[in-house]
Amino acid sequence: MSTLEVKDLHVSVVDDENGKGQEILKGVNLTMSTGEIHAIMGPNGTGKSTLSQAIMGNSAYKVTQGDILFDGKSILEMPVDERARAGLFLAMQYPQEIAGVTNVEFMRAAINSRRADDDQIPIMEFMKKLDAKQEILDMTDEMSERYLNEGFSGGEKKRNEILQLLMIEPKFAILDEIDSGLDIDALKVVSRGVNSMRGDNFGSLIITHYQRLLNYIVPDQVHIMMDGRIVKSGGPDLAKKLEEEGYAGLRDDLNIDAKLTDEI
Amino acid sequence: MRPSLKENYLDQVVDFANKNEEPNWFSELRQDALNKSADLALPQYEKINYRSWRLDRPKAPFAEDENISDVTLPETDNLLVQNGGTTVVSKLSDKLADKGVIFTDIWTALKEYPDLVQKYFLNTTINVDSNKLIALNLALMNGGSFLYIPKNLKVEEAIQAIYIQNGDEKKDYNHHVLVVADEGSEVTYLENYLSNGNKETNIANIVVEVVALDNSNVHFSALDQFGSNVSTYLNRHGYVGNDARLDWAIGSMNDGHVVGDFGTELRGEGSHTEAKVVAITTSDQVQGIDTKVTNYGKHSIGHILQHGVILQSSTLTFNGVGHIVKGARGSDSQQESRVLMLSRKARGDADPILLIDENDVTAGHAASVGRVNEDQMYYLMSRGIDEKTAQRLVIRGFLSSVITEIPEKEVRDRMTAMIERKLVNGQQK
Ligand SMILES: Nc1ncnc2c1ncn2[C@@H]1O[C@H](COP(=O)(O)OP(=O)(O)O)[C@@H](O)[C@H]1O
Ligand SMILES: [Mg+2]
Repeated sequence: MSTLEVKDLHVSVVDDENGKGQEILKGVNLTMSTGEIHAIMGPNGTGKSTLSQAIMGNSAYKVTQGDILFDGKSILEMPVDERARAGLFLAMQYPQEIAGVTNVEFMRAAINSRRADDDQIPIMEFMKKLDAKQEILDMTDEMSERYLNEGFSGGEKKRNEILQLLMIEPKFAILDEIDSGLDIDALKVVSRGVNSMRGDNFGSLIITHYQRLLNYIVPDQVHIMMDGRIVKSGGPDLAKKLEEEGYAGLRDDLNIDAKLTDEI
Repeated sequence: MRPSLKENYLDQVVDFANKNEEPNWFSELRQDALNKSADLALPQYEKINYRSWRLDRPKAPFAEDENISDVTLPETDNLLVQNGGTTVVSKLSDKLADKGVIFTDIWTALKEYPDLVQKYFLNTTINVDSNKLIALNLALMNGGSFLYIPKNLKVEEAIQAIYIQNGDEKKDYNHHVLVVADEGSEVTYLENYLSNGNKETNIANIVVEVVALDNSNVHFSALDQFGSNVSTYLNRHGYVGNDARLDWAIGSMNDGHVVGDFGTELRGEGSHTEAKVVAITTSDQVQGIDTKVTNYGKHSIGHILQHGVILQSSTLTFNGVGHIVKGARGSDSQQESRVLMLSRKARGDADPILLIDENDVTAGHAASVGRVNEDQMYYLMSRGIDEKTAQRLVIRGFLSSVITEIPEKEVRDRMTAMIERKLVNGQQK
């Protein structure tokens, strides 16, 4: 079993305009183990993506206080590629497009980066695995032969993120708004992919704005984030309650002084 | 005083022309070119200084071609392979030959199709008076080819040439290619220059002419891979007629010094060119590339895109010259030149030069010298890919404007392998 612990995490970003650091995360605590699925819900601009980027090691996000521990060891000093090879994965809200590099080539490079130089994945084994994973996601060879995310629709990009997840098989996957811009059929397909990973050796942190995704990927725990902190945790029912009351209702319930950007 | 080029080489030029049974008019052209070369100036390009390479001092233009070790050849029906001036492979499918396509070495063309060659050879854009190096190219030409596509023929298969410079032999590489797409025809031509061996220091002087007559459509791809001991002058010039289109996709992946002069004359009304060039420089090499499009025709469209990567202590200069001539109403000139610097010791320049003599036009330019895209690096590294590998993949993305244009998968793979090799070398300290 592996664990991922976020302890009193404070994270700042540097404002492009005035060059000043702005604190986004103000003391986040979270403990996950493989075998568990956690969901983080929260209003827009509350710091959900910031948390995912800080865990993955994006250098634009500065940890000013607290720690992130993977199997008990701090990963703050590890560069992003090392964190990935250690077993972390982030399905990004906005995946990059890179022409000239095919999806297949990219995924092989990712898999091979975890293997010794004299033990690279044989092409047949890779293709067989790719076929199986594509099938789960209703994807075709044609998509994998295309250049990395280039010219992909929003939905295709999300599907491609999940394909990478299934190919790489990390210990922990953070899925940042993997449901945004998906219609119900695509949502089911993506959920099927994530659910196929479920098991004792896989843990996931699912970030979403809407409860809908959690009908398909049922979490073990739900955390509500507001204004850079986790303000409430509970079981799957918490998500349903939130759906009914809305973020404003929950905030007032909890007596929190947070401004919601999408409040009408 | 040093003896003049003429005194030194006139006899050799005449002998060489006779030995190859060249027609009189061609032998005379050569002699005229040799004469003129004495007085003509070296071509000059903004911020590209290549004088010290001595490209105007021939050393061994007419040495015999020595055999070379094997080079792997692509499997294709339409292929010309030359080792220096010696033709090793010359294939054209019966289907194309029957329809009148000509694809031969230059001497066969001079013998069998003298009128066609004479009509277009140094006769549409650049000519023997243009500059000293073009004159020398003709006077001392020791290799080359001719491709002709007849009227209204649409050739679907790519036509490929591989031109090999023997780097283990002391011999100047003076090569001339003439491509003529007659009215309404369509063709894709791919050429690959490469050095086999690298023991001797040599110079190369290459002139490639592409004539795209009215309503024709020419797609020209090039992969240039001269070795580190070769200093090269590489002139590619195109003529584009009414409603014709000529697209260039050039990968300048040489290891030696190169001055590249890539020019397109949009002579016809509604003529169009997309000129795309990518380059990688490594070690202490210098590549200076001057890509120019001149709009003469009304409603002509000229677009230049140049992307380059500089490593170690190398130098890369991209000039983008967009010239709209008075009277070219409704024409469009756009260009983008970008250079990525991967080393503090490297030098890079991206110079847009716009010369606009007509009011009723659209024109624009973008140029930058910058660093590798951090968001793309982060994305790749977040999948476990190490920094150097990620950097190579991001760079490949940056150079993809040309890679994705190359129609043949096999050539695309050759280009990708070349980029990979050059970057791996360049990433070493
Ligand atoms: N790279 C960045 N640079 C500057 N500000 C950022 C950056 N990323 C996020 N922020 C700011 O941090 C806050 C939280 O953003 P984010 O973590 O994306 O929220 P969420 O994912 O919950 O919608 C927002 O005010 C946003 O503008
Ligand atoms: Mg977000």
